[in-house]
Amino acid sequence: MGTLVGAIGYRQLRDHSAPFAMLDRLEAENLGADTAVEDVSYNPVALMQWLHGDAKGQFERAIFIAAVERAGRPPGRVDAYRWDGILPPPELIQQAVADAVTGIISLDNTLVVAGYFKALPRQVAVVEIEPLEHAFGTDLSPEVTAAVETAVDLVRLLATNPVAFDALPRAGIPEAAFYRAHAH
Amino acid sequence: MCFKNLPVEFDANGRASLRGGIPDPYAVAAGPANVPMQLSEAQVEELVRRNGHIKSVDFDPVTRVAGALAFHAVADFKEKRIVQARSVATLFRGYEVIMIGRDPRDAIYITSRACGVCGGVHSTCSALAIEMAIDCVPPPLGVLVRNLALALEFLYDNPLHLHLLAGPDYSAAIVEPTNRALFARAKTASAPGRDVHGYATIAALMEDLNPLTGHLYVEALHMTRLAREAYVLICGKYPHPQTIVPGGMSSTIHLTVMNEMFVRLAQFFDYGKKMAAIWDDLTAFFYEADPKYKEVGARRANMIDTGIFDLPDAYDASYKNAGAWGDRRWMTPGAIVDGTLVTTDLHRINMGLEEFVEHSYYEEWAGSGQRQRFPADPSGNPLSPYHPWNKITKPRPGGQNWKEKYTWDTAPRWDRLGMEAGCYARLWNTAVAQKQPPNPFIESTGHSLKLRIPKGALPEMDLEWQVPPVWNAFERNRARAYCVGWTAMIALNNWTAAMERLKDGDTKTSTPFEIPKQGERLGVGFWGAGRGYLTHHLLLDRGAVANYQIVTPSSWNASPTDRWSQPGPYEEAVVNTPLLEETDDPGEFRGIDVLRAIRSFDPCMPCTTHIHSDAGVVTREVNTCACGLDG
Repeated sequence: MGTLVGAIGYRQLRDHSAPFAMLDRLEAENLGADTAVEDVSYNPVALMQWLHGDAKGQFERAIFIAAVERAGRPPGRVDAYRWDGILPPPELIQQAVADAVTGIISLDNTLVVAGYFKALPRQVAVVEIEPLEHAFGTDLSPEVTAAVETAVDLVRLLATNPVAFDALPRAGIPEAAFYRAHAH
Repeated sequence: MCFKNLPVEFDANGRASLRGGIPDPYAVAAGPANVPMQLSEAQVEELVRRNGHIKSVDFDPVTRVAGALAFHAVADFKEKRIVQARSVATLFRGYEVIMIGRDPRDAIYITSRACGVCGGVHSTCSALAIEMAIDCVPPPLGVLVRNLALALEFLYDNPLHLHLLAGPDYSAAIVEPTNRALFARAKTASAPGRDVHGYATIAALMEDLNPLTGHLYVEALHMTRLAREAYVLICGKYPHPQTIVPGGMSSTIHLTVMNEMFVRLAQFFDYGKKMAAIWDDLTAFFYEADPKYKEVGARRANMIDTGIFDLPDAYDASYKNAGAWGDRRWMTPGAIVDGTLVTTDLHRINMGLEEFVEHSYYEEWAGSGQRQRFPADPSGNPLSPYHPWNKITKPRPGGQNWKEKYTWDTAPRWDRLGMEAGCYARLWNTAVAQKQPPNPFIESTGHSLKLRIPKGALPEMDLEWQVPPVWNAFERNRARAYCVGWTAMIALNNWTAAMERLKDGDTKTSTPFEIPKQGERLGVGFWGAGRGYLTHHLLLDRGAVANYQIVTPSSWNASPTDRWSQPGPYEEAVVNTPLLEETDDPGEFRGIDVLRAIRSFDPCMPCTTHIHSDAGVVTREVNTCACGLDG
């Protein structure tokens, strides 16, 4: 079984497109026959269905890459963690599904929806970049441009070195961020 | 007479003109007659001051809807009624601004982003507007394949709404804590549609509507997959298709594509039967348990739709013949006023359309001596200065004030009436108008729509949707459920016609075109979303977009109170909703009846408003306070 490197983001949305800059780089490299590099920024329900369907049993590990705004982080910071799999309360999962089927694309939603429906590989790592610019456009900010280099190196390491993957700290979706997006 | 409030009359040949002798025919002082009115802010403030049991309640955000909707209501907990309601679209859409100066073909890809569910309908609506503006007629197979693509999009949309968004409002998980007696009754209430849907009791059905765990919820997720898979066979990807072009579709269509599509489409035949049986049973149960449920979400049956799904031998992309080709659509256009179909003519539907912004975060563009750009449409029919072809989008963000401005949605009105949009509007139009093309599966009777749905795992079945005597939340959902089978039968008709074309060696799906670089040209896309009415009004000037105006179903439904104090459809429906929830403590109030009323419209706020602000692009919803009471 292999590793899925999945980019989640928005194209042509300045720093929120950073995962695709990473994706282009990683696709051009040979990360090994067992590693699939995919744009998975479509409906999280569709991703869940793909993982349950055509890709069933194909991946032991997943590395999701995304540009995510988290409170208190400086632009361009790269964080990596193994997702602890802890889900929010059911009413927020329900809202995450509603968001997913109505077009919301986000790392947190993807983890919650695919996690709830037990579609994710056994081990999931996340590499996040803190974005700065979120206007329409293709250019990344200097901070995020620099972060892409760091993040690509990190993903390459995680995809090819299980020891490095296992050594990541375990963490959850920052609760405050998820609640802010979904709750009243 | 089609119009009762606008100053338009028709001669013996049906030609429209402005009534003579009126110095300012579209003066805003001329409000609609005999319409409900919101209480004024002063009246509400007085009620709240004098009565401790009258309180404000806010639903912010309203969850299980697409996008950012907030709702403010003032509830009388003693009388168990809502005395005032305000619908708030909390984000600015901005596509009208984004489109200015662009190549019109960009609209197909840019306006698709108005929605994460129904991008294809916006793309298609753009393509139709462009086709009209540049005189480009798609070939027959292009029309058929476009119909198929959009039917599949509806087969994603309607089940999604019924069992993932609105369905949980009728689930055991919601009904039991909010109406214990009702749920106890459901445990012993047998379900007449058991042979179709498989549930012996209403309570069992409600259990399977439970969010996340219920079989019907999970099944709906599966059905959305089938619809998406079929859709991408012709559109490349979902929700933002890559093959919709002016003049047809750029897809390559062959027998393998058609067969793979059919395998998925056919699974909606049984699903359509099941959906109708489920929502028939739920509706009957609630009505029988307490007839007051007929008042939940109730409002006048005022509806509007542009119709959808063209016949290849009728559609010529022209404005001049829009009345004729519109009448031959599979789903009939129409305006319904107080339950009566008053027109099916796309010219008249277009002529009666106006947008107002008194309570919206926009500046007025009409009046103040400003010249009206188009006093008439291309066929000479009079147009209001408030018509989309005359509209200029002038955003003016500001603070929320119920007396003044409180939403990013405008107030579209037809003949100055608050109309609602939904797939049920075209169901009603089609049932009554009897203009349905002849076919083996669908028959309109003048008071109902009959469907003959082929055998699947279930036997062949005849369904009949009847025009209801009351209009409310339950009837919206029931009608939407019937739309699943109806849409599948329209898709089947179009699939069969496309196969005939392919058998004859016709594989042409598009007509080449060029964007003219000279002169001004008008176009309008009359199409529809799974949620109902959709128009894109376009003005081209020397090959570039000079004006672009989108009116979506939720623009109608979520619209604010207008300048004549006439509430928007959500607002009207909520004010008419009795609070049947079992609670005497306002602190425990969950507002389930209000939420049933709102969600029954299938709100889609990304279409209504969208995600751009001066500070950048918002990629998620926002909420504006922490006082929600959602169920």
